[in-house]
Amino acid sequence: MKPSNRRRMLALSALIMSAVFANVATAQSKETLKFGLAMPLSGSQALYGADQVKAAQWAVADINAKGGVNGKQLEMIVVDTQADPQLGINAVKRLTSVDNVPVLITAWSSVVKAVAPIANRDKVLELSVGANSPDIAKLGDYVYTTFPLAEVDVSALSKHTYTTLGKKTAAVLYINNDSGVEGAAIYKGVFEKAGGKVVAYEAYDSKATEFTGALLKVKASNPDIIHIQGLVADLPQVIAQMRQLGLQQRVSTYSAGYNPKVIEQLGAAAEGLIVTSLAPGVSDNPNVEPFINRWKESEKRVPNGLPYTQYLYDGPYLVAELYKWIEKNKLPATGENLRKALITVKNFELPLTGGLSVGEDHRVNKPVYLLTVDKGQFVPLATIK
Amino acid sequence: MIDLSILLQIVWTGLAASSYAILFAVAFALVVKVVKVWNFAQAGVMALSFYVMYAAHNKFAIPLLASVGIGLAATISANIFMDRYGLQTLRNRNSPSLTFFIFTLVVSEFLAYLLAMIFGTEPVALKPSIMSGVNIVYGVVISNWDIEAVCVTIGLLLVLYLFMYKTRDGQFMAAVADNPELSRFYGINVTRAYVITFVIAGVLVTAGMYLFGTKASIIPNTPLQMMLFAVIATLLGGMGRIFAAALAAITLSLIQGLSIFVIPSEWQGLILYVFLFITILFFPQGVSLQKFKQLMAPLTINKPLHKKGI
Amino acid sequence: MEYFISLAVLLGIYITLSSSFNLIIGYGGLVSIAHPIFFALGAYTTGLMAIHFQTNPALAVLAGGGVAFVSSAMLSLPSLRISGDYLLITSIGFQLGLLEVIKHVSFTGGASGLGNIPNVVEGSSRSAVFAIISCLIAAVVVWMIRWLLRGPYGRVIAAMRDDELAFSALGRNAMMIKLTLFAIGSGFAGIAGGIYAYYFQYISPDQFEILQSAMLLTMVVVGGMGSQWGPVVGAVLLLLLPQAIGFLNLPSSVMAPLQGVIFTTLVLAFLFWRPQGLIGSNQRQSEGGA
Repeated sequence: MKPSNRRRMLALSALIMSAVFANVATAQSKETLKFGLAMPLSGSQALYGADQVKAAQWAVADINAKGGVNGKQLEMIVVDTQADPQLGINAVKRLTSVDNVPVLITAWSSVVKAVAPIANRDKVLELSVGANSPDIAKLGDYVYTTFPLAEVDVSALSKHTYTTLGKKTAAVLYINNDSGVEGAAIYKGVFEKAGGKVVAYEAYDSKATEFTGALLKVKASNPDIIHIQGLVADLPQVIAQMRQLGLQQRVSTYSAGYNPKVIEQLGAAAEGLIVTSLAPGVSDNPNVEPFINRWKESEKRVPNGLPYTQYLYDGPYLVAELYKWIEKNKLPATGENLRKALITVKNFELPLTGGLSVGEDHRVNKPVYLLTVDKGQFVPLATIK
Repeated sequence: MIDLSILLQIVWTGLAASSYAILFAVAFALVVKVVKVWNFAQAGVMALSFYVMYAAHNKFAIPLLASVGIGLAATISANIFMDRYGLQTLRNRNSPSLTFFIFTLVVSEFLAYLLAMIFGTEPVALKPSIMSGVNIVYGVVISNWDIEAVCVTIGLLLVLYLFMYKTRDGQFMAAVADNPELSRFYGINVTRAYVITFVIAGVLVTAGMYLFGTKASIIPNTPLQMMLFAVIATLLGGMGRIFAAALAAITLSLIQGLSIFVIPSEWQGLILYVFLFITILFFPQGVSLQKFKQLMAPLTINKPLHKKGI
Repeated sequence: MEYFISLAVLLGIYITLSSSFNLIIGYGGLVSIAHPIFFALGAYTTGLMAIHFQTNPALAVLAGGGVAFVSSAMLSLPSLRISGDYLLITSIGFQLGLLEVIKHVSFTGGASGLGNIPNVVEGSSRSAVFAIISCLIAAVVVWMIRWLLRGPYGRVIAAMRDDELAFSALGRNAMMIKLTLFAIGSGFAGIAGGIYAYYFQYISPDQFEILQSAMLLTMVVVGGMGSQWGPVVGAVLLLLLPQAIGFLNLPSSVMAPLQGVIFTTLVLAFLFWRPQGLIGSNQRQSEGGA
């Protein structure tokens, strides 16, 4: 090669090399720590899903504002599931094969179950945050919940009702879908084991708007307390009709009832209602009040399903911790390694929900907070560890 | 063994709660009778009716009664529009029943999606509180909503009866129901009969949605789920017998309510389907004493079975 | 890439479904929209056999098809006594009623669905394997239907469809033909269900509701009822369209209902401006319209 050509060649290759290095360098600084969030952004559950997504987005912004994880920014990719299993599968497939996330957060029991096979096959860590079906613990190696499953709060409530509140007989009304059936069975089992008697055990159809028959059977059994395992949509109607039919007993339900809308729709009929919450309240955790105030300032209201938004706020923090472990041990960001991080670190301290201990059985245990409606407001009743 | 007061309670509350279902069933049956169409678009119109009332009352703070009026106007317009531009076109083309079905079902879905886009899918009720005052009469709990529901329903059915049997338009509608071609031949305005049918259906639907909306909360898809009941009641009543359909609706409601004493509560949802099957298989023309006797007699079925359409 | 491959799996399944559905309503003239329930029966049979008996996958899928084939008689036998709108209503009742039963029975997983169906294809090319199988089955089904309709039976079926009264008057047994078409169509749907169960490893009753019926009906109508390629075209179009809209990245609260609005507007447009579907069939001119 002629000397001038060679020089030109060298110059050109230097130019190319520098361009490549520059790209690599910028790519590295642009490198983000990705994770997915599959939530109902539309559909009948959207009002909860949207708020939960917002909480998670705030968390990501907060974490990144403080420098992210070792200087790298967290990137959250949000997809819509409409709380529907089929759409959930489509959405999560996009996350795993198009966006290539190694870890994702999702909720709503039917979606969690439907996408579990994908997580297990593609070795992507699936964090279920908010769904409470007991089956979730058995969905496979890559599915973990950070939210206590149904047996935790329903059991605690049931036991407390018998031992502390002193109710000897209970009636159980439940909606005829998986969460209703499973939750009701747990309540009954624990109540009877503690020594109580379940005198009525009635189901109502998920599409029903009229519950007279079941309610009259409950009335005839004369229970000390009535436990309803329903959804937030039907709960007010059941209680309304209950009161109108002359059932004056105290009513208890699980976390679905912890919603200001219930009080709004029922007015005085809501007095005395006992609900569970699996997230600490204002008096239990100092971070909660600023969180609520932040909602009031930016959205001019309280969040729908406050405890769930607390868990979703902590979700990105948990993911950040997992990434931190990976970075520390210089491992590639794969689902397999993130899972290893989860079970190795095991104990986490999260801002809005406190301590989290991930069990080998894929379950978590948390204190259960009982609240009751007093003069139109939810006030704490008891805390059960 | 069944306490009388419990029985009375179930009967009363079941009747009151079936009020809106009766109205929907009669509206559906009327359209089947006169227009000869299984109008599944009614579900979409029901949703439209509710959301217009909801928007007027809750977003624009218009008083409830006026909102109902606005809802009524919207419902009737939607019905007439659908008939004029939708059904009439299909009629002109002699389309088979499958096409009518697809059209009416898709109209309902279209409206449901449109309403979901505009209003979201959060369950909403017409009034912020779903509790109503309660009165106790001889041990039976009667709520104010119950009274309103029963009065509205009886009132509307009475007016409908008078209209159908005492006015010329009502009689023309019956003639058109019997034989549209012949009626036209005799100078009866068939189109006018159709329009009046849809106006009446609109009134019944709006009243029904008002009652339902003051008792429970709905999402755009809720009316579609309520259609099955209206269909079965229409079938049970028999084609062309709208008051029999009303009676069938009441009976179905009561059976559903009282069944709680006989079958476990989880299976209550299945009752409707069982009825549907029995009706179609054994009483395709509707339940009547004559047919019942026929069935009880030795099974020598020599009826013309091949009917195209209705 | 993986995304498109999984789309191909769905495509194969839906082409099978729409073609077999067309056999029943387009050619058999049976106004039943209960096709999804046979899809469901196949899926549940295969799923349950896979979970409890670890049956050979091919066998399980065939079993699914078989169960659907046989159970079609539950609907087709009564349908001989009734026609038109009555059959339509009956089929709706049959579908929803059977779904209710599935939702209340515990061994099907009830309303929360049947999960943990074992994976029968390991490895990274899983989706590709399923895509090939699914499309292969679709091709076989379409071909078999073509063969059926082209052969000597084809003329018999066309004659029956065009004028049943004359057909019976000539002494031909329309009943057996209808039952057979119904059974074959439902059997194919059952096989599609088996593939579906193995691929997604999770099935739930709400996937087989009236919405699914409407979707299949739309595919057949938009594609062209009573034509052999119509349903195929309909399936392709109606599967790809929502995906395309999905990539527009609109605000999600609007996205899903918007898809629905576009979808339904499309159907209405077709019903009015091109009732014979994209692949119009000239064989139904005698009945007029779609």
